[in-house]
Amino acid sequence: MNSIKLASIALRNLFRNSRRTLITILVSSAGFAALAIVAGYMDFTFYGLKEMTICRGFTSSGGTGHIQIVKREALQKEERYPLEYGIADNEKIQALIASNKSIKATIPRIEFNGLISNGEKSISFLGMGIDPEKESELMHYWNALDKMSSKTKMDDSSYKKLELTGQNGVLLGEGMAKSLNAETGSSLMLMGTTVDGAVNVVDVTVAGVVKSTMKSIDRYYLVTNIPTAQSLMQTDRVSKIVVVLDKTDNTESITPLVSAAINGSGKPALFTAIPWDQLAEYYHSIRDAYRIIFSFTGIIVVVIVFLSCTNTMLMSTMERVREIGTLKAIGIANPWISLMFLFEGFFIGLMSLIGGMALKIIFSFIINNSGFRMPPPPGMSSTYLLKIYPATEFLPWIALLVMFSTTFSGLLTLLKIRKISIVNSLTHV
Amino acid sequence: MNDRIIAQLINVSKYYGSGEGRVTALNHVNLSFFRGDIVVLVGLSGSGKSTLLHLLGCIDKQDEGNVIIDGIDTSSMSLEQLANLRLNKIGFVFQSFNLIPVLTAYENVELPLLFKGMDKKSIRQRVDEVLDEVGLLERKHHYPREMSGGQQQRVAIARALVSKPALILADEPTANLDSKTGAGILDLLMSLNKKEHITIVVSSHDSVVLDRIKSVVHISDGKIMVDEIALHNHIA
Repeated sequence: MNSIKLASIALRNLFRNSRRTLITILVSSAGFAALAIVAGYMDFTFYGLKEMTICRGFTSSGGTGHIQIVKREALQKEERYPLEYGIADNEKIQALIASNKSIKATIPRIEFNGLISNGEKSISFLGMGIDPEKESELMHYWNALDKMSSKTKMDDSSYKKLELTGQNGVLLGEGMAKSLNAETGSSLMLMGTTVDGAVNVVDVTVAGVVKSTMKSIDRYYLVTNIPTAQSLMQTDRVSKIVVVLDKTDNTESITPLVSAAINGSGKPALFTAIPWDQLAEYYHSIRDAYRIIFSFTGIIVVVIVFLSCTNTMLMSTMERVREIGTLKAIGIANPWISLMFLFEGFFIGLMSLIGGMALKIIFSFIINNSGFRMPPPPGMSSTYLLKIYPATEFLPWIALLVMFSTTFSGLLTLLKIRKISIVNSLTHV
Repeated sequence: MNDRIIAQLINVSKYYGSGEGRVTALNHVNLSFFRGDIVVLVGLSGSGKSTLLHLLGCIDKQDEGNVIIDGIDTSSMSLEQLANLRLNKIGFVFQSFNLIPVLTAYENVELPLLFKGMDKKSIRQRVDEVLDEVGLLERKHHYPREMSGGQQQRVAIARALVSKPALILADEPTANLDSKTGAGILDLLMSLNKKEHITIVVSSHDSVVLDRIKSVVHISDGKIMVDEIALHNHIA
């Protein structure tokens, strides 16, 4: 009962100097809102980066998809010639997993390299052989994501152009097209090594010029259809099969099912199903960097909130020296008196959470509707629309941090209260 | 020890400062207060009467000697034990009333009882009883700022009285009041002493107080000059 009374006294004390209390609550609310907005931005960035990794990727190999199927040996051994450990019956493998309802598409790909020439100039390339229609599934998946705004939808028109150009069409990275002075309709030659180690040449026609996610890739990046790549390499194999699921959250549960389906039971496993996050080096490095930045921001904000509250609490203690002395004189022990200040800090924290949530909602709404575009991140080629996500999983932790810093500042008064002499405090003015 | 003695100072000394600047506030004081007495401590400003009151109230520590309250030697008690002793055995009335401004009269009075672990019903009953006794039951929901000085001091007396202490210490209780109100407060203290048989020690240099309280302790330069309690008790 005395705790309830102390809480009631604490609440009333907060309004004795309402201006100071309001400023403290504002500082703490701003701290909460700042952290929640940073968390919302971080959540947006992680989400976008994750789905971008799956759909488009940050290398010349395209989007990782949710799962990739490769020959087990391709991971264990170094190939002596191209596609030594490629997948021969890729259609059969695709058929084995097609019945799973969570699997929305299976996309075969060939990764190859060589030289591309316009007759006057030859430059090396990193190429990807794709099935344009199937590859578009990744873009459809991206465009269907709930959290993606219409302004960030992916356009599969270049894949359509590749399909329309028919066999021997190629899409060139912007840098490569510029370097070869090529444009849509230009004729070029691809030179590469066959699976037998011989050199082969195929004539290709430029179906379009594309921009990849990374600026540095555009100079040596090209995409063609699978038959062109296979004819250059003289093979019917593919490098991998990319699996697209209905949602990313299902990756963990579907990966073992895919692995079991493609390897069969009781036989030595020939294929490996790799989930996207094991292929997403760029995603992990960015996420780690953001987490460090967020932690530092968090520490700075919490310190500011803590110092502001501590200042308020100590000022409050100094102003109420006589009252504290009186409470001590009538026999109320120091921990009880400190509990009263602890309650004051707790209530400041509680009010800050309400204020902070309101500020967060207002600022998030303004930012999300401002249409503000962020400049391209280092190495990337396109700007992106700034969004603040609700970041609900971070909010309890941020709330806990703010509550802890305000309440702990109340606890610090225990040291001050212990030092207050009853005799001196009774005559304190 | 004599059962009639409620508080006793045995060879108590108290010093302030150190070295050459050391001031002796109390100098080897021996003094006993008897149950049911009302005593006034008299002396010039700086004579040591407030120090004596603080030591009796266990809100300050003596440098030498022993302070015994209701048979308990307080010399070696911890801060928590002393707080508990004050809560249960000592009531304070201060010159400036020292009420908690955010609490009503009722809440100010109930405060000590909340920390004694009493149930809500008993607390309500006891608080109403003492507020009635000091004549402020009708103003129990008023805040200190809504009351006169005399009424605030009555609330302070009710707060001192509520936990049925063995000893009430009143430090210049009439100093901040006009003579009429001061006389009323003194009447209240004397009637409580008579009715409840609580020992009351008042420090004062108000002539009205000196005229009306028969047991007087004169202090000068930290020494007891005339102990009229002993004399009074001897006569009694």
